[in-house]
Amino acid sequence: MRVELPMPRVGPGNDDAPRPIKVVLNWGRRYSLWVFNFGLACCAIEFIAASMARHDFIRLGVIPFAPGPRQADLMVVSGTVTDKMAPAIRRLYDQMPEPKYVISFGACSNSGGPYWDSYCVTKGVDQLIPVDVYVPGCPPRPEALLQGIIRLQEKIASETLSTKAIRAKYAGSRRAAAGEVTRPLVARPHPTRPQVTRPQVTRPHVTDRDTGGELS
Amino acid sequence: MIETPCRDVPLQEWTAALAAARSEGFDFFDWLTAVDETDAPESPGFDLVCHLMNSSTGQSSHGALARVLVRTRVPNGQSAASATGLWSGAAWHERETHEMFGIDFEGFDDGTGLGLRPLLLPNGFDGTPLRKSFVLAARASKAWPGAKEPGESSEGGEGSPAHTEKPGRRKIAPPGVPDSTWGPR
Ligand code: SF4
Repeated sequence: MRVELPMPRVGPGNDDAPRPIKVVLNWGRRYSLWVFNFGLACCAIEFIAASMARHDFIRLGVIPFAPGPRQADLMVVSGTVTDKMAPAIRRLYDQMPEPKYVISFGACSNSGGPYWDSYCVTKGVDQLIPVDVYVPGCPPRPEALLQGIIRLQEKIASETLSTKAIRAKYAGSRRAAAGEVTRPLVARPHPTRPQVTRPQVTRPHVTDRDTGGELS
Repeated sequence: MIETPCRDVPLQEWTAALAAARSEGFDFFDWLTAVDETDAPESPGFDLVCHLMNSSTGQSSHGALARVLVRTRVPNGQSAASATGLWSGAAWHERETHEMFGIDFEGFDDGTGLGLRPLLLPNGFDGTPLRKSFVLAARASKAWPGAKEPGESSEGGEGSPAHTEKPGRRKIAPPGVPDSTWGPR
Protein backbone atom coordinates (compact mmCIF):
# COMPACT_ATOMS: atom_id res chain seq x y z
CA MET A 1 0.00 0.00 0.00
CA ARG A 2 1.31 3.39 -0.91
CA VAL A 3 0.07 6.60 0.64
CA GLU A 4 0.64 9.82 -1.25
CA LEU A 5 0.29 12.79 1.04
CA PRO A 6 1.59 16.26 0.33
CA MET A 7 4.05 17.76 2.79
CA PRO A 8 2.03 20.03 5.08
CA ARG A 9 3.11 23.61 4.65
CA VAL A 10 1.93 27.12 5.26
CA GLY A 11 -0.28 27.78 2.30
CA PRO A 12 0.06 30.45 -0.35
CA GLY A 13 -2.43 32.52 1.68
CA ASN A 14 0.50 33.54 3.79
CA ASP A 15 2.06 35.36 0.82
CA ASP A 16 -0.84 37.78 0.60
CA ALA A 17 -1.59 38.08 4.28
CA PRO A 18 -1.42 41.66 5.54
CA ARG A 19 1.42 42.55 7.85
CA PRO A 20 -0.50 42.36 11.13
CA ILE A 21 -1.60 38.84 10.26
CA LYS A 22 2.00 37.87 9.55
CA VAL A 23 3.02 39.20 12.93
CA VAL A 24 0.33 37.07 14.53
CA LEU A 25 1.35 34.02 12.51
CA ASN A 26 5.00 34.41 13.42
CA TRP A 27 4.12 35.08 17.03
CA GLY A 28 2.12 31.88 17.17
CA ARG A 29 4.84 29.94 15.45
CA ARG A 30 7.67 31.10 17.66
CA TYR A 31 5.92 30.30 20.94
CA SER A 32 4.69 26.85 20.04
CA LEU A 33 7.78 24.99 18.97
CA TRP A 34 7.21 21.31 19.40
CA VAL A 35 10.70 20.04 19.92
CA PHE A 36 12.15 16.78 18.77
CA ASN A 37 15.29 15.77 20.60
CA PHE A 38 17.88 14.03 18.50
CA GLY A 39 20.01 13.10 21.49
CA LEU A 40 23.11 11.23 20.42
CA ALA A 41 25.67 11.58 23.19
CA CYS A 42 26.61 13.47 26.36
CA CYS A 43 25.07 16.75 25.15
CA ALA A 44 21.64 15.13 25.22
CA ILE A 45 21.89 15.09 29.02
CA GLU A 46 22.27 18.87 29.07
CA PHE A 47 19.35 19.15 26.69
CA ILE A 48 17.24 17.05 29.04
CA ALA A 49 18.37 19.22 31.94
CA ALA A 50 17.17 22.27 30.00
CA SER A 51 13.74 20.68 29.67
CA MET A 52 13.41 19.95 33.38
CA ALA A 53 12.08 22.15 36.16
CA ARG A 54 15.11 24.32 36.92
CA HIS A 55 15.72 25.62 33.40
CA ASP A 56 12.33 24.76 32.01
CA PHE A 57 12.24 25.77 28.35
CA ILE A 58 8.48 25.31 28.27
CA ARG A 59 8.25 28.88 29.59
CA LEU A 60 9.80 29.95 26.27
CA GLY A 61 7.15 28.05 24.38
CA VAL A 62 9.26 25.05 23.51
CA ILE A 63 7.14 22.00 24.10
CA PRO A 64 8.85 18.71 24.96
CA PHE A 65 8.57 16.26 23.37
CA ALA A 66 6.87 15.75 20.06
CA PRO A 67 5.70 12.17 19.67
CA GLY A 68 7.68 11.92 16.47
CA PRO A 69 9.26 13.99 13.73
CA ARG A 70 5.92 14.36 11.91
CA GLN A 71 4.55 16.39 14.81
CA ALA A 72 7.67 18.47 15.42
CA ASP A 73 8.67 22.00 14.40
CA LEU A 74 12.13 22.07 15.91
CA MET A 75 14.83 19.45 15.92
CA VAL A 76 17.67 19.77 18.40
CA VAL A 77 20.63 17.66 17.39
CA SER A 78 22.60 17.17 20.58
CA GLY A 79 25.60 14.93 20.47
CA THR A 80 28.06 13.20 18.22
CA VAL A 81 26.77 12.60 14.71
CA THR A 82 28.34 9.51 13.19
CA ASP A 83 28.40 8.54 9.55
CA LYS A 84 26.32 5.53 10.39
CA MET A 85 23.67 7.70 12.05
CA ALA A 86 23.63 10.28 9.25
CA PRO A 87 20.96 8.58 7.09
CA ALA A 88 18.62 8.38 10.07
CA ILE A 89 19.05 12.09 10.85
CA ARG A 90 18.40 13.04 7.26
CA ARG A 91 15.39 10.75 7.07
CA LEU A 92 13.77 12.08 10.23
CA TYR A 93 14.48 15.67 9.19
CA ASP A 94 12.76 15.02 5.87
CA GLN A 95 9.74 13.70 7.72
CA MET A 96 9.23 16.92 9.68
CA PRO A 97 6.57 19.23 8.26
CA GLU A 98 7.65 22.66 7.06
CA PRO A 99 8.38 25.22 8.39
CA LYS A 100 11.01 23.39 10.38
CA TYR A 101 13.99 24.56 12.37
CA VAL A 102 17.18 22.92 13.54
CA ILE A 103 19.38 23.81 16.48
CA SER A 104 22.79 22.21 16.51
CA PHE A 105 23.66 21.79 20.18
CA GLY A 106 27.28 21.29 21.17
CA ALA A 107 30.69 21.11 19.56
CA CYS A 108 30.12 17.62 18.18
CA SER A 109 27.09 18.40 16.11
CA ASN A 110 28.51 21.81 15.15
CA SER A 111 31.77 20.51 13.74
CA GLY A 112 32.62 17.04 14.97
CA GLY A 113 34.05 18.55 18.16
CA PRO A 114 36.66 16.50 19.99
CA TYR A 115 36.09 13.70 17.50
CA TRP A 116 36.89 15.80 14.44
CA ASP A 117 39.72 13.35 13.73
CA SER A 118 37.66 10.23 13.94
CA TYR A 119 37.08 7.94 11.01
CA CYS A 120 33.41 7.58 11.78
CA VAL A 121 32.23 11.02 13.00
CA THR A 122 30.46 13.44 10.66
CA LYS A 123 32.16 16.83 10.67
CA GLY A 124 29.09 18.74 11.68
CA VAL A 125 25.40 18.04 11.22
CA ASP A 126 25.19 20.98 8.79
CA GLN A 127 26.70 18.67 6.19
CA LEU A 128 23.40 16.82 6.22
CA ILE A 129 20.67 19.31 7.06
CA PRO A 130 20.39 23.11 7.15
CA VAL A 131 21.01 24.43 10.65
CA ASP A 132 19.40 27.62 12.01
CA VAL A 133 21.24 28.16 15.27
CA TYR A 134 24.53 26.74 16.51
CA VAL A 135 25.10 26.49 20.26
CA PRO A 136 28.82 26.19 21.08
CA GLY A 137 30.25 24.30 24.04
CA CYS A 138 31.29 20.84 25.12
CA PRO A 139 28.71 20.46 26.51
CA PRO A 140 26.95 23.82 26.44
CA ARG A 141 25.15 24.66 29.65
CA PRO A 142 21.35 24.54 29.58
CA GLU A 143 21.35 28.36 29.69
CA ALA A 144 23.18 28.32 26.38
CA LEU A 145 20.35 26.33 24.86
CA LEU A 146 17.84 28.85 26.23
CA GLN A 147 19.88 31.58 24.55
CA GLY A 148 19.88 29.58 21.34
CA ILE A 149 16.12 29.18 21.52
CA ILE A 150 15.67 32.92 22.01
CA ARG A 151 17.92 33.53 18.99
CA LEU A 152 15.79 31.17 16.96
CA GLN A 153 12.60 32.88 18.08
CA GLU A 154 14.02 36.23 17.01
CA LYS A 155 14.75 34.68 13.65
CA ILE A 156 11.23 33.32 13.35
CA ALA A 157 9.70 36.65 14.34
CA SER A 158 11.47 38.45 11.51
CA GLU A 159 10.69 35.77 8.97
CA THR A 160 8.40 36.15 5.99
CA LEU A 161 7.17 32.70 5.31
CA SER A 162 6.14 32.73 1.70
CA THR A 163 6.23 29.54 -0.28
CA LYS A 164 9.13 31.04 -2.20
CA ALA A 165 11.10 31.73 0.96
CA ILE A 166 10.48 28.20 2.19
CA ARG A 167 11.72 26.81 -1.11
CA ALA A 168 14.83 28.93 -0.87
CA LYS A 169 15.50 27.76 2.64
CA TYR A 170 14.78 24.09 2.39
CA ALA A 171 15.28 23.18 -1.22
CA GLY A 172 17.97 25.68 -2.12
CA SER A 173 20.37 24.97 0.69
CA ARG A 174 20.27 21.23 0.49
CA ARG A 175 23.74 19.80 0.85
CA ALA A 176 22.51 16.27 0.29
CA ALA A 177 19.33 14.67 -0.87
CA ALA A 178 17.84 12.06 1.40
CA GLY A 179 18.69 9.37 -1.07
CA GLU A 180 22.38 10.20 -0.91
CA VAL A 181 22.65 9.53 2.77
CA THR A 182 19.97 6.88 2.99
CA ARG A 183 20.88 3.26 2.91
CA PRO A 184 18.44 0.42 2.81
CA LEU A 185 17.59 -1.02 6.17
CA VAL A 186 19.70 -3.92 7.30
CA ALA A 187 18.10 -7.19 6.35
CA ARG A 188 18.13 -10.16 8.60
CA PRO A 189 20.74 -12.71 7.56
CA HIS A 190 19.38 -15.76 5.86
CA PRO A 191 19.09 -18.39 8.56
CA THR A 192 20.64 -21.81 8.16
CA ARG A 193 19.86 -22.77 11.74
CA PRO A 194 16.23 -23.33 12.65
CA GLN A 195 14.91 -20.09 14.10
CA VAL A 196 11.86 -19.00 15.99
CA THR A 197 9.45 -17.53 13.48
CA ARG A 198 8.06 -14.15 14.35
CA PRO A 199 4.74 -12.72 13.20
CA GLN A 200 5.15 -10.75 10.00
CA VAL A 201 4.77 -7.01 10.49
CA THR A 202 3.82 -4.98 7.47
CA ARG A 203 4.53 -1.30 7.48
CA PRO A 204 2.97 1.31 5.24
CA HIS A 205 5.32 2.83 2.73
CA VAL A 206 5.84 6.54 2.89
CA THR A 207 7.10 8.52 -0.01
CA ASP A 208 9.64 11.23 0.38
CA ARG A 209 8.25 14.18 -1.53
CA ASP A 210 11.54 15.81 -2.33
CA THR A 211 13.47 12.96 -3.81
CA GLY A 212 10.69 10.72 -4.93
CA GLY A 213 12.66 8.05 -3.14
CA GLU A 214 10.89 5.54 -1.04
CA LEU A 215 11.37 5.44 2.69
CA SER A 216 10.41 2.17 4.22
CA MET B 1 44.09 -3.21 42.16
CA ILE B 2 45.09 -6.73 41.27
CA GLU B 3 46.41 -7.12 37.78
CA THR B 4 44.57 -9.68 35.69
CA PRO B 5 46.84 -12.67 35.00
CA CYS B 6 47.81 -12.93 31.35
CA ARG B 7 48.77 -16.07 29.48
CA ASP B 8 50.85 -15.59 26.36
CA VAL B 9 50.47 -18.45 23.94
CA PRO B 10 51.82 -19.12 20.45
CA LEU B 11 49.41 -18.57 17.60
CA GLN B 12 48.98 -22.29 16.82
CA GLU B 13 47.79 -22.98 20.38
CA TRP B 14 45.26 -20.14 20.47
CA THR B 15 42.05 -22.16 20.57
CA ALA B 16 43.69 -24.94 22.60
CA ALA B 17 44.64 -22.37 25.25
CA LEU B 18 41.13 -20.95 25.26
CA ALA B 19 39.64 -24.44 25.56
CA ALA B 20 42.05 -25.22 28.41
CA ALA B 21 41.02 -22.03 30.23
CA ARG B 22 37.41 -22.91 29.70
CA SER B 23 37.83 -26.38 31.17
CA GLU B 24 39.57 -24.79 34.18
CA GLY B 25 36.34 -22.97 34.90
CA PHE B 26 36.83 -19.73 32.95
CA ASP B 27 33.56 -20.35 31.15
CA PHE B 28 32.32 -16.78 30.70
CA PHE B 29 33.53 -15.07 27.53
CA ASP B 30 33.82 -11.36 28.25
CA TRP B 31 35.52 -9.82 25.25
CA LEU B 32 38.03 -10.33 22.48
CA THR B 33 39.98 -7.64 20.70
CA ALA B 34 43.33 -6.86 19.16
CA VAL B 35 46.17 -4.41 19.78
CA ASP B 36 48.23 -3.05 16.91
CA GLU B 37 51.87 -3.93 17.73
CA THR B 38 53.14 -3.74 14.17
CA ASP B 39 55.83 -1.29 15.31
CA ALA B 40 57.14 -3.63 18.03
CA PRO B 41 60.91 -4.25 17.72
CA GLU B 42 60.55 -8.04 17.78
CA SER B 43 57.90 -10.21 16.11
CA PRO B 44 55.70 -7.34 14.94
CA GLY B 45 52.03 -8.10 14.47
CA PHE B 46 48.74 -7.83 16.26
CA ASP B 47 48.13 -8.92 19.83
CA LEU B 48 44.92 -10.87 19.96
CA VAL B 49 43.54 -10.63 23.47
CA CYS B 50 40.65 -12.50 25.05
CA HIS B 51 39.23 -11.83 28.50
CA LEU B 52 37.56 -14.69 30.32
CA MET B 53 35.87 -14.96 33.67
CA ASN B 54 35.05 -17.78 36.01
CA SER B 55 31.33 -17.56 36.66
CA SER B 56 31.35 -19.96 39.60
CA THR B 57 33.57 -17.64 41.66
CA GLY B 58 32.46 -14.38 43.19
CA GLN B 59 30.09 -15.80 45.78
CA SER B 60 32.33 -14.63 48.63
CA SER B 61 31.67 -11.39 50.46
CA HIS B 62 33.95 -9.22 48.32
CA GLY B 63 32.44 -10.75 45.23
CA ALA B 64 35.12 -10.46 42.56
CA LEU B 65 35.03 -12.96 39.70
CA ALA B 66 38.27 -14.74 38.87
CA ARG B 67 39.47 -13.58 35.49
CA VAL B 68 42.21 -14.29 32.99
CA LEU B 69 43.56 -12.78 29.79
CA VAL B 70 44.76 -15.01 26.97
CA ARG B 71 47.01 -13.33 24.45
CA THR B 72 48.75 -14.28 21.23
CA ARG B 73 50.71 -12.43 18.56
CA VAL B 74 49.31 -12.63 15.03
CA PRO B 75 51.83 -11.54 12.38
CA ASN B 76 50.43 -9.18 9.77
CA GLY B 77 48.68 -11.09 7.03
CA GLN B 78 48.22 -14.31 8.98
CA SER B 79 44.92 -15.50 10.32
CA ALA B 80 43.97 -16.81 13.73
CA ALA B 81 41.68 -19.68 14.64
CA SER B 82 38.15 -18.73 15.52
CA ALA B 83 36.77 -19.07 19.04
CA THR B 84 33.17 -19.33 17.85
CA GLY B 85 33.31 -23.09 18.33
CA LEU B 86 33.88 -22.54 22.05
CA TRP B 87 31.63 -19.54 22.63
CA SER B 88 29.03 -18.55 20.05
CA GLY B 89 29.13 -15.06 21.52
CA ALA B 90 32.66 -14.60 20.23
CA ALA B 91 31.19 -14.05 16.75
CA TRP B 92 30.45 -10.34 17.21
CA HIS B 93 33.85 -9.74 18.76
CA GLU B 94 35.62 -11.51 15.93
CA ARG B 95 33.61 -9.62 13.32
CA GLU B 96 34.53 -6.36 15.01
CA THR B 97 38.20 -7.33 15.28
CA HIS B 98 38.10 -8.33 11.64
CA GLU B 99 36.67 -5.04 10.41
CA MET B 100 38.79 -2.86 12.69
CA PHE B 101 42.15 -4.64 12.35
CA GLY B 102 41.77 -6.78 9.25
CA ILE B 103 42.55 -10.02 11.08
CA ASP B 104 40.97 -13.12 9.58
CA PHE B 105 39.53 -15.87 11.72
CA GLU B 106 39.66 -19.35 10.31
CA GLY B 107 36.63 -21.50 10.95
CA PHE B 108 34.45 -18.55 11.88
CA ASP B 109 30.84 -19.69 12.17
CA ASP B 110 28.00 -17.67 13.59
CA GLY B 111 25.28 -19.91 12.27
CA THR B 112 24.39 -17.72 9.31
CA GLY B 113 26.99 -19.01 6.90
CA LEU B 114 27.77 -15.43 5.84
CA GLY B 115 31.28 -15.47 7.20
CA LEU B 116 33.22 -12.50 8.53
CA ARG B 117 31.44 -9.32 7.51
CA PRO B 118 31.41 -5.79 8.91
CA LEU B 119 29.51 -5.35 12.13
CA LEU B 120 29.70 -1.70 13.14
CA LEU B 121 31.17 0.25 10.23
CA PRO B 122 28.82 1.94 7.80
CA ASN B 123 28.21 0.15 4.52
CA GLY B 124 30.88 0.74 1.96
CA PHE B 125 33.55 1.76 4.47
CA ASP B 126 37.02 1.12 3.12
CA GLY B 127 39.94 0.15 5.31
CA THR B 128 40.63 -1.06 8.82
CA PRO B 129 40.40 2.05 10.98
CA LEU B 130 42.02 0.82 14.19
CA ARG B 131 45.29 -0.10 12.51
CA LYS B 132 48.04 2.38 13.15
CA SER B 133 48.67 2.55 9.41
CA PHE B 134 45.13 3.79 8.73
CA VAL B 135 45.30 7.43 7.68
CA LEU B 136 42.56 9.67 8.98
CA ALA B 137 40.68 11.13 6.05
CA ALA B 138 39.91 14.36 7.88
CA ARG B 139 43.61 15.02 8.50
CA ALA B 140 44.53 14.17 4.94
CA SER B 141 42.15 16.75 3.50
CA LYS B 142 42.47 19.56 6.02
CA ALA B 143 44.81 20.78 8.74
CA TRP B 144 43.72 19.97 12.26
CA PRO B 145 41.58 22.93 13.35
CA GLY B 146 42.12 22.46 17.07
CA ALA B 147 44.68 23.64 19.61
CA LYS B 148 46.27 21.79 22.51
CA GLU B 149 46.04 24.61 25.03
CA PRO B 150 43.39 27.26 25.57
CA GLY B 151 44.37 30.48 23.83
CA GLU B 152 46.44 28.73 21.20
CA SER B 153 45.31 29.17 17.68
CA SER B 154 45.79 26.83 14.79
CA GLU B 155 46.74 29.79 12.59
CA GLY B 156 50.24 29.86 14.06
CA GLY B 157 49.75 33.10 15.95
CA GLU B 158 51.47 34.28 19.14
CA GLY B 159 52.17 31.42 21.54
CA SER B 160 51.51 28.72 19.02
CA PRO B 161 53.75 25.64 19.05
CA ALA B 162 55.59 26.89 15.97
CA HIS B 163 57.09 29.68 18.08
CA THR B 164 57.67 27.93 21.37
CA GLU B 165 58.89 24.54 20.23
CA LYS B 166 62.57 23.80 20.74
CA PRO B 167 64.21 23.52 17.34
CA GLY B 168 66.04 20.26 18.10
CA ARG B 169 62.98 18.34 19.16
CA ARG B 170 62.16 15.44 16.91
CA LYS B 171 58.59 15.50 15.78
CA ILE B 172 56.79 12.20 16.04
CA ALA B 173 53.48 12.20 14.27
CA PRO B 174 50.81 10.24 16.11
CA PRO B 175 49.35 7.22 14.30
CA GLY B 176 46.82 8.17 11.67
CA VAL B 177 48.26 11.59 10.94
CA PRO B 178 49.35 11.66 7.31
CA ASP B 179 53.06 12.34 6.78
CA SER B 180 54.61 14.75 4.31
CA THR B 181 54.20 12.31 1.41
CA TRP B 182 50.52 13.22 1.47
CA GLY B 183 51.47 16.69 0.32
CA PRO B 184 51.14 20.06 2.00
CA ARG B 185 47.98 20.83 3.88
S1 SF4 C 1 30.14 18.37 22.34
FE1 SF4 C 1 31.17 17.44 24.11
S2 SF4 C 1 29.52 17.06 25.59
FE2 SF4 C 1 28.57 17.36 23.57
S3 SF4 C 1 28.32 15.33 22.68
FE3 SF4 C 1 30.27 16.16 21.97
S4 SF4 C 1 31.79 15.40 23.45
FE4 SF4 C 1 29.77 15.17 24.38
